[in-house]
This record gives sequence, C-alpha cells and structure tokens, in this order.
Amino acid sequence: MEKNNHTKQLRSATTFLLLWLTFIGESQAIWLTIPTSGTKCVSEEIQSNVVVLADYYVVADEVDHHHQIHTVSLKVTSPYGNNLHQKENVTHGQFAFTSAESGTYLACFWLQNKHEQPLTVSLDWRTGISAKDWETVAKKEKIEGVELELRKLEAAVEAIRENLIYMKEREADMREVSEATNAKVAWFSIMSLGVCILVGALQLWHLKRYFRKKKLI
Amino acid sequence: MEQTQWKRSSKMWMVLACLMMSFFSSIESLSVTVNDVECVYEYVLYEGDTVSGNFVVVDHDIFWGSDHPGIDFTVTSPAGNTVNNIKGTSGDKFQFKAPTHGMYKFCFHNPHSTPETVSFYIHVGHIPSEHDLAKDEHLDPINVKIAELREALESVTAEQKYLKARDARHRHTNESTRKRVVFYTVGEYLLLAGVSALQVIYIRRLFSKSVAYNRV
Repeated sequence: MEKNNHTKQLRSATTFLLLWLTFIGESQAIWLTIPTSGTKCVSEEIQSNVVVLADYYVVADEVDHHHQIHTVSLKVTSPYGNNLHQKENVTHGQFAFTSAESGTYLACFWLQNKHEQPLTVSLDWRTGISAKDWETVAKKEKIEGVELELRKLEAAVEAIRENLIYMKEREADMREVSEATNAKVAWFSIMSLGVCILVGALQLWHLKRYFRKKKLI
Repeated sequence: MEQTQWKRSSKMWMVLACLMMSFFSSIESLSVTVNDVECVYEYVLYEGDTVSGNFVVVDHDIFWGSDHPGIDFTVTSPAGNTVNNIKGTSGDKFQFKAPTHGMYKFCFHNPHSTPETVSFYIHVGHIPSEHDLAKDEHLDPINVKIAELREALESVTAEQKYLKARDARHRHTNESTRKRVVFYTVGEYLLLAGVSALQVIYIRRLFSKSVAYNRV
C-alpha cells in the first residue's frame, strides 16, 4: 500500500519534473534523497582549472498533506576547505566555479527544519566539457545544426586526449610512490633483522655485566 | 478539455525541445559515501535507450583489519523490476537497454559496518531511430550517424572515467600500504625492544637477592 503510494508520488513528481524541464531547458540530473537527519554529500575529484557548473532543485511532491514548501541547505567546499557556495533553506539554485586546486570537491545537502520525510533533490553537476555553453559558441561563431554537432564531437575528442595525458601523469606519480614503498619494505626488513641482532647483543652484554657484578660468573 | 489540450501540447513541445537539444546524453560522474544503502535516481526519456556506466569502490581507510569485501549494486526499473544486480564487488561496469522510459533507481548496498566511498558514472545514450526521423522534419539522417559517433566517443569517455576511478582506488591502496609498512615496522621494532627489555628485567629479578635463595 505504502509502496503504491510512493510510486504514485514518484510518478506525479516525475510529471512535474518534465513540465519543469520545458521551462528550464536543461538536461537531466541525478536525484538524491536527503535523510531527515544528517547530511548527504557527493564529491568528485577534479583537476585544477576546470569549470564546474551545477544546478539543483527540490523535487516537489504533488501529494503534500501540509502544503509545505520544502527547503534544503547546501554547502560546497574546495579540497582545502574553502567555502565555495553556501545557501540555507532554498528550493532551487545554481552555482559555478573554476577549480583553483586539484582535489576532491564536496557538495553537502542537509535539511535545516524538521521534516517528517526525506527530501528528494535533483542535482545536475557538470564539469569540464559538459559545462561548456554551446549556445554562446554557436552565436559567436554563427554555426548551427550539423556543424555545431561536429564541433561538439571535436571538443569531446579533445577532452579524451587531455584525460589520457592526465592519466599518464597520474600513473607516473603512482609508479614513483609504489617504487618508494617497495624500497622502504626491503630496507625496513633488513633493518628489522639488524635491530633483532643488536637487541640480542645488548641483552647478552648487559646480562654478562650484571652476572659479573653479582659475582655469579 | 482545454487543460488536456494544454498538457498534450506542452508534452509535444517538450519532446521537440529534447529532440532538438542535440540528443543530449546525461553525464553524471560523482562519488558518494555508502553507509548502508545509497540510491541515486536517473531519468531515462526514451524506451530503448542504452544506459551504461561503471562504479568503483574507492576508499581504503581500513588500517587494522582485512580489506573490505565489496558492495552490492542493484538497478531497478520504474515498474519495480530489478534490471541489473551485481553482488560483492569492488567495482564493475554495466550496460543495459532500458525496457521502459521513466525514473530508474541505482542502489549501492554496503553489507558491512565500515562506510565506503563509491565513485560512479551513469550515462543515458539516445540514438534517434527511424520513428523519430519521421516525426521531426528538422532531423537529417546524418544526425543518426552523428549520434552514433557521439555514443562511441561517450563509451571512450566512460572507459576513461572508470580508469580514473580505478586509479584513485589504487592510489588509496598505495597510501594505505605505505602507512601500514611504516607504522607496522616501527611498531615491530618498539615491540622487539620492549620484549627484550622485559626479558632482561625478568632474568635480573630471578637472580636478585630477595628471591634467589628461595627459587633459583
């Protein structure tokens, strides 16, 4: 019974979402459920100098007993802890930034007021090439249709190549760390043997001295 | 009467807008921390769209215990059927053809108490078919080829995102290995020194005056 109600709610929310889409003209997003207590965080590892564009809104349920306007609070932080965007009690919003440093960028949602049910928030998070505004490019260069599509494909290929170069650099970094760890393991094992022998020798020397002092040998 | 007409025209406009919006494909690549169950919803506009993606368990914060065995992944269609189900894995790729349009649910289930960070990527790809070509006169047959090309490039991008997530996991593993090596070895040395000191103290006690005449 509850499941039927929930699917009905979800279906009504979906139709509402479709109508919303006609006015926003945006592409899709993922939906997250924010629990009644605690925060829900999503993160992504982004290199430096990458444009990040995000859109979010609270998915409204048609079947709402109290006719409340549900609001959500969110906070976006950079890997060094700087606050990039913070809003309390909003139903929708948008933020954009260019990543200054490479690392994990975190976007956290939580419910400020007391809600009985968990809230659903739609988040459209785009980085790099997906964040590119093709309309302005089309207007500036006066291209359209098939040519615009091919230009998009060209940008996608460029992004693939850049990603490949980035992966190569990362692999080189990791190879260095792996080899350093390998050398450490070898060095520490030999040193462990040395410490063992040293400690044994110290024991013998100390006990010999002690027994000599006690006139036992 | 008027309301249904408005709803129908808005629906048609939406379909047209979506078709003209260059057969967008949704791209989401994010990480989320899974404590017990975390679900992500993604809307599939057309029936028959190929939904592809991958996920990798990235975190490696376990220091003392053995490593995490993996998480379960389930995809549920809007009708409630389980489309895809992968159990006990630390990362995998998936691809399926959407049987209906609607809201699909992608769930990660963590059967153990340690929270894990999962990096996932979901892509819904649409290639216009003959039916769409007949519906809209703005569409050229070349758009079908361009859509196919775009989907091929998207699959390369998806593979790259998977490799990037795997690389992040390996980096975490490496860091964990390095930390374990250093801490366990230093701990081993200290323990060794401590045990030998205890041995010496014990032997000294055995030979001390107050106990010696009674025991040794």
